Amino acid sequence: MAVTVALMAVILLPLFVVVLGSCVNASLLGLSTDLWSGSRHDIFDFSAFGYIFENYGDWALFSLELALGCVAICLLVAVPAGYALARHPFPGSGLVEELVLLPLSLPGITLSMGLLAAYGELRGPLLVLAGHLLYTIPFMLRVVMATLRSFDVARLETAAQSLGASLPQRLYLVILPNLRHAMMVGSLLVFAVSWGEFNVSFLLNRGRPQTFPAVLYDTYTNQSIQVSSAATTIFLAIVIPAVIAIQWLGGRESSDMEQGA
Amino acid sequence: MAPLLLCVPLCVLLLVLLGWPLVHLLNQSLLMTDAPTARITLHNYLEIATVPRYRHALFWSLELSLAVAVGSTIICLAPAWLFTRYQFRGKRLMRGILILPMTFAGMIVGFLMIILLGRTGFIPQLLERLTGHPFLSGVGYQFPGLILAYLYFEIPRATLTLESALRKLDGRLEQAARSLGANRWQVLRMVVLPVIRPALISTFAVTFSVSLGSFGVLLVLSIKRFTLLPLEIFTQYIAPPTNQGIAAAMSLTLLAVAFGTGYGLRRVARRMEGTNA
Amino acid sequence: MKLGPILVLVSAFLAMIVGPAFAEKTVIQYDCIPNYANWGAVTKAYQKKTGILVPPDMKGSSASMAALEAEGKSPKADCAYYSGAIGFQAASKGLHEPYKPKGWEKIPAALKDPNGTWWTVHTGHVAILVNTSALKGKPVPRSFADLLKPIYRGMIVYDDPRIHGTGFTFVSGINAILGGGQDLKAGFDYLRKLDGNILKYAKENSYNELLRGEVPIWVNADGNGLKAKYVDKAPVEIVIPAEGTVTMPLVMGLVKGAPHKEEAKKYLDWLLTDEAQHIMAESFFQPVIPVKLDASLQAKYPPKSAYAKAKVLPLDKLAAQADGIKKRWEKEIEGGR
Repeated sequence: MAVTVALMAVILLPLFVVVLGSCVNASLLGLSTDLWSGSRHDIFDFSAFGYIFENYGDWALFSLELALGCVAICLLVAVPAGYALARHPFPGSGLVEELVLLPLSLPGITLSMGLLAAYGELRGPLLVLAGHLLYTIPFMLRVVMATLRSFDVARLETAAQSLGASLPQRLYLVILPNLRHAMMVGSLLVFAVSWGEFNVSFLLNRGRPQTFPAVLYDTYTNQSIQVSSAATTIFLAIVIPAVIAIQWLGGRESSDMEQGA
Repeated sequence: MAPLLLCVPLCVLLLVLLGWPLVHLLNQSLLMTDAPTARITLHNYLEIATVPRYRHALFWSLELSLAVAVGSTIICLAPAWLFTRYQFRGKRLMRGILILPMTFAGMIVGFLMIILLGRTGFIPQLLERLTGHPFLSGVGYQFPGLILAYLYFEIPRATLTLESALRKLDGRLEQAARSLGANRWQVLRMVVLPVIRPALISTFAVTFSVSLGSFGVLLVLSIKRFTLLPLEIFTQYIAPPTNQGIAAAMSLTLLAVAFGTGYGLRRVARRMEGTNA
Repeated sequence: MKLGPILVLVSAFLAMIVGPAFAEKTVIQYDCIPNYANWGAVTKAYQKKTGILVPPDMKGSSASMAALEAEGKSPKADCAYYSGAIGFQAASKGLHEPYKPKGWEKIPAALKDPNGTWWTVHTGHVAILVNTSALKGKPVPRSFADLLKPIYRGMIVYDDPRIHGTGFTFVSGINAILGGGQDLKAGFDYLRKLDGNILKYAKENSYNELLRGEVPIWVNADGNGLKAKYVDKAPVEIVIPAEGTVTMPLVMGLVKGAPHKEEAKKYLDWLLTDEAQHIMAESFFQPVIPVKLDASLQAKYPPKSAYAKAKVLPLDKLAAQADGIKKRWEKEIEGGR
């Protein structure tokens, strides 16, 4: 128990420091990540947030669109495939599963190099979407398959089949309703992963609004700590609710599918 | 037949997004960058073995990933055990927090590490306030910092993999052993460990392959005289004089190692599970 | 059931991607970092004036050149911004199309290519940027020789020359500053000795870290330091080293095969107008065109006397040696054993 709490503290500590840094001025207990208090004199100062919204607002929007698009495509592609792989395995289905998991052990640079070499002509956002999909499909697939492999759903489907239901009927009336929960959890996961994806997006950028994590990169290198902390806070504000929601809904399935590799 | 059709979109995507680019990479790796019309050659792969810099990059990558994989597997046994065995309030919140770093990119973790343990990091400053001396200042730029950063983002994956495997462990076996008079240690050694061994192996496999591929952390921390294979790939690809052939060769090598060990270990684990059940 | 909302999501997403692409006109510039040399303000002003968007791009000089090379016949960028020698290299690789923007005559001859394959838009100088609070009482270094003193151990950072143009200018220029010869021995000897005091060879910009004192001494462009001091109000002192410095021309070129060539040309023209040059000057990079700056802005620059020993390096020679210098640095200084 103690170890877990310690781990939790370790994970939270830098985030706490950073979030504080975004709006509280340097003199919290005399501690700060700055050695100076800048030109601001109030204790609480949210001006850095305004700066971010003004200058990087459309990047955040782009990231959100991208994440939603990933969710949509994952649902369309991974759900049917998950059904096929889980309930009707065929020779080579194990290989397909492994291949889907492959991108997660590749460095972002390799995937970017490959995508650029193969599809350099394509428009920027599509390339970035491709990269995101490679990283998010495994998660959705795993969620769906974990649920489908569970005993109850298998029994229900077999029962339906023995009652004479055809494939489309089984899908529509038995499988999909049972998958609703898994799809929701999967969608949230895909959203969170896509929102945070940076390596591939950074390397594939083509000058159009980039993804939000690129804002984090830009502010951590080129701007003051106030601004970068504000960017981090906004980033967390989007991702933390998603993660918490996954936990809330998840229950038993969460652990099986979040492995992701 | 119909179910197979359902798989088609996924397979198409895999081919398009993964297969074709990998073919291109393979092609690049077999050609010399300065003489792209020359014959196919294994020169680039040979260079990885012969040039000290690349060789070291490969070995250091393997060593680091090994250390991180072992470390995170062991450390995350605690939370995984906790989450499977006990129910308590706030459990979901705790799990949520432990999963959070999974959404951070390596570079971000690097920045966080500098904020905490850099020259003017939060922790040294805190320690300075309390004790008058900034201990741990600059640790972020040395190996402990590097390992901590890697552990930071591996914790979620390790915890979740272990957790899902531990679920399958039947609590009744332990209870039976206890009632037969075995003490805690014996229970651990003879009942629990054999059963969770496959879980430990697959967790190791996961964390190993993911660590191998990460370069963002080192990009930010920039430890002197140290390099990792993904970082070399990055430098060869981005910084002129670029050598895309070598970058491609290194990428595919990394891919082979990561995927090979991951897949191999997972199969071992599955087979062990099979015999255990 | 779930299909309806999914279709809506997909179509909305596609619309959002495809739509703005046709709605807005853009000019793509590689290496257009908003907080560097005030590109953010420059591009915003241009957009206000003409409605054309020049989106930010995070690539550094070398990365931009590598990207253009990789893109070959169908480049995605219209123009690119580089640190001097890299820009020269890019031009000599044939990546640029000759173009002489309006105001061409006003650029000094040493700072442009006679055929128009590259030209300077503003200049900086290599300087020692010091966060005085972070020094905690130690004296401020005033020269390159000072930097070698053991009291600065673990405090100095300069950019990895393989990735950043400014780092490259420093590594290649230090030799000339110290009066070394063709073999670059003086420069590399110095760098080797300096290595003992180096905290890290930064692979990305350390501006944020300079501001908060994480990096007390950063060898970089004076413009960045001046901005830290006057705009972000950090306790930064800009030291032009006693031995002298190197003028770093920051150049641009029109990319061959640019997708939006006509718009790009107009943009490049505008960058040499007084208006644009003045905005750039606000970030303390010196305009290449003699522009009248307000007195208050002018006063913030270090005095002219400090730059008395500033050398302008011959770019052609530098570009020819660029690859060699980088490899040598990698081997001798960074030297992964």
